[in-house]
Amino acid sequence: MLKDFTKGFVKENPVFVLALGLCPALGVTSKVVNALGMGAGVIFVLLGSNIFVSVLKNFIPEKVRIPAYIVIIASFVTIVEMVMEAFVPALFESLGVFVPLIVVNCVILGRAEAFANKNSVKSSILDALGMGIGFTFALLIIAFIREVLGSGTISLIPIGTWDGIVSIPGLSKSPARVFSLAAGALLVMGYLKALFNWAELKKAGAKK
Amino acid sequence: MTDMLKTGSKLALICAVAAFCLGAVNTVTEPKIAEFRAAKLKAALEQVSPGGVIGEETEAGDAVVLSYYVVAGVDDVSGYILNLKGSGYAGNLIILASYSPDGKVLGSVLMEDEETPGLGKEAEKDWYMKKYLGFSGKDIPSAKRQLSQSDSDAISGATITFSAVAKALISGSDFVIAKGGM
Repeated sequence: MLKDFTKGFVKENPVFVLALGLCPALGVTSKVVNALGMGAGVIFVLLGSNIFVSVLKNFIPEKVRIPAYIVIIASFVTIVEMVMEAFVPALFESLGVFVPLIVVNCVILGRAEAFANKNSVKSSILDALGMGIGFTFALLIIAFIREVLGSGTISLIPIGTWDGIVSIPGLSKSPARVFSLAAGALLVMGYLKALFNWAELKKAGAKK
Repeated sequence: MTDMLKTGSKLALICAVAAFCLGAVNTVTEPKIAEFRAAKLKAALEQVSPGGVIGEETEAGDAVVLSYYVVAGVDDVSGYILNLKGSGYAGNLIILASYSPDGKVLGSVLMEDEETPGLGKEAEKDWYMKKYLGFSGKDIPSAKRQLSQSDSDAISGATITFSAVAKALISGSDFVIAKGGM
């Protein structure tokens, strides 16, 4: 049971191992705060959709299961979108088009199809949380590397008078800007994926 | 046949429940969003205003100029603020622009767009809009060749957005000139 929760962190990490949800993972990771916002949105939608898909798994007819899942996912995404625009408009503006695109984030449909429609509600909740946290964790690593190298800053959530931006002396004046652009996202993603593969191979080798 | 009906009605039921839930959330968030949008509009109006008292919004009944505000100076009209609709690369652009009574662009802000992030979306920034300021009518740059080399490099990759904004601003300028400081 615990495995349902922890497998998403490293062993079946949705971004680095399953290679799901790469589009938002590359798109929003130019700032750490965007990764946090996207992660929170995905965890919420994933939790909601996994619960409903699991509860309704005997009700939803096999033939129309994909449209049914999409309706459920799209509803949760629209809720996230409305709530975000109403309560955290700054985050909503910086995430832009990526919020509605959570609908087609394959992590979510993937988990509904591969896990929630075969397992109990309890396992599905754990799976959603684990996968969601794994996704957020992956986004945070990419965003951290890209923002530190590409802009020389780390932007977190603004609290009170503090604007939430930590600048790194030396780096913030002349950063390697390529990391904040799309090409940098692919570079970082490639190296991290290689690192995960290497760790996996080493582990397999040790077992032999 | 009955199987198909059953499948269809189940899907319809899921959709209906989803729609109901969304409606419920909307009643909570809608006033908040409206409030936020109104604050954003007010800030934008003040940003582009040439100075003076901004009057009430008036419908313009034009394809491009949606509505306008007359800005009153000390004893005459000091300018106009126009709400313009342009057609960008990926959907409509809503632009708020201020003009002097003789049709010169004084300030301009892109309020809504669906342009490509990193390319057309750059038009939301201040430096982008600066390229249009101070011109009136057909003199407003609408093609890359009307810009200096460095300026035209800056908008490279988003030429359609650039001329779309320019076209809307030119129509706005013509509209203001036709009003003739009234």
